[in-house]
Amino acid sequence: MNLFRSEEHISRWLGPRDRGATIPVAKLCELAHAWWGNRIDPYWQPRTREQNQAILSALGLTDAFWNLSAGEDVS
Amino acid sequence: MDEADVALRNLTYGLFVESGRAPTIHETAARIGATPDDVWAGWKRLHDDHALVLQAHTRELRMANPFSAVPTAYQVFADDRWWYANCAWDAFGICAALHVDGHIEASCADCGEPITVHVQDERPDDHGLLFHCVVPAARWWDDIVFT
Repeated sequence: MNLFRSEEHISRWLGPRDRGATIPVAKLCELAHAWWGNRIDPYWQPRTREQNQAILSALGLTDAFWNLSAGEDVS
Repeated sequence: MDEADVALRNLTYGLFVESGRAPTIHETAARIGATPDDVWAGWKRLHDDHALVLQAHTRELRMANPFSAVPTAYQVFADDRWWYANCAWDAFGICAALHVDGHIEASCADCGEPITVHVQDERPDDHGLLFHCVVPAARWWDDIVFT
């Protein structure tokens, strides 16, 4: 989960490896605030996988890459 | 995750933010009048539940996401302190979790050129940067340190 200057830099860094998902940093910042915003609340409670998936979906991250189906229950 | 483990998790995060670093098992135990073994047992359950991440070979924290207990390539200045983040996502997550503006010091993973991003009012000041994630979401926790 890294930052890059451009698509060209991502391609060079990946080399022959499969491409993952790329999003603009503004979207990443939005995602981070939705995902981590409650992390140090004194009354924090774990989220379900469905709640986490809903956060991703609300930001338009709906393709298969962002599918949490294998058990992302808390983070 | 039962209520006792949620309370231990919330205490652990509270101590991390209070001190600016990962609490030790002894510090955590002392705060709640428990034994280190009790805390270790709770931390292991929380690790298994993906609520925090333990070091592989010591009784120490590795991550209290988005905070990293060890130095990383993602440093964040927020709330008058420097923090380490586990990755780019977590770097923004530290500002989010603390509900403050801040700035992130990192580098392009390809060329190594330094990157500084200021976060103000939940927005970055550099909109040209890109975030790339190699591991699909369903496999993030197969090896969270690699992810």
